[in-house]
Amino acid sequence: MKQFVVIGLGRFGSSIAKALSAKNFEVLAIDENEESVQEMEGTVSQAVVMDATDEKGLRELGIKNFDTAIVSMGETIEDSIMITLTLKEMGLRHVIVKAKSDMHSKILKRVGADRVIFPEREMAAKLAESLASPKIFDFIELSKTHGIVEMVAPKKLADKTLDELKLRTKYKVNVIAIKRKVPITKPDGSTDFKEEVIIAPGPDDELISGDILILLGENSDLEKIEKL
Amino acid sequence: MSADFDDLIELSDFYIVSQKFEEAIKVLKKAENIKKIAPKLYYNLGIAYEALNENDKARDSFRLVLKIDPGFKSAREHLDKLIEE
Repeated sequence: MKQFVVIGLGRFGSSIAKALSAKNFEVLAIDENEESVQEMEGTVSQAVVMDATDEKGLRELGIKNFDTAIVSMGETIEDSIMITLTLKEMGLRHVIVKAKSDMHSKILKRVGADRVIFPEREMAAKLAESLASPKIFDFIELSKTHGIVEMVAPKKLADKTLDELKLRTKYKVNVIAIKRKVPITKPDGSTDFKEEVIIAPGPDDELISGDILILLGENSDLEKIEKL
Repeated sequence: MSADFDDLIELSDFYIVSQKFEEAIKVLKKAENIKKIAPKLYYNLGIAYEALNENDKARDSFRLVLKIDPGFKSAREHLDKLIEE
């Protein structure tokens, strides 16, 4: 099982620590704020109050044996640089660091960070994308020309089978999966949904209004589907 | 008059379960012309819009449900989920 250490338990750090724990990974959470650490107790494998710039303390915790470190120091740029440098000197293979600015990112890369992230910037870009194309829920870039898109199935495609639609022949896109909200009746008589995912749908699978398609293809072909 | 309304709501339930969400919306709009203060009407409308991924309209519908009946638990759950998305 992969082991993660999360240093800095602000909004981002605590969220990533909780999310990794929910995926059953071993997570060590570190912060010098006692209250932040207490909040994580019982959620992560281990939560420790300590100053993460203390190299000796990090060694005593056996940090170098962890697979990945996520450094998310909210306020102090100097501390995140020092910690990144220390972690890499200790031999940690994969260090991901949250940066506050481009200059901060540049320095982090110089001291050995394996990945520098800007969560707010990345989230803002995704939100802008989804506001610009409300039908697109997600996009994964595979290369400059190809990607995987999660989009609402255009109405024109509803009530037809994949065989009838011939998306592969006409648009050169592959349907990887279909996500569908299937209505159910609850014991109190009200209606609700359960989400069904049809992986690698076959030619006889029929699309229904409201289906979400996960499509793989060339970006220009995916755009054609979006505009249908 | 009221029987018509109940029939339309029942018909919308049928359309929703049959995954004919656009049809459900059509009959719910007819029902709305008969009676407006009906949480079940707007709940079903919210469900149909949510199924079609028309989330703005779904949110508006669930908000209307809660305006009429603040204790409508399922509407609150759906609205919370849509707001978090």
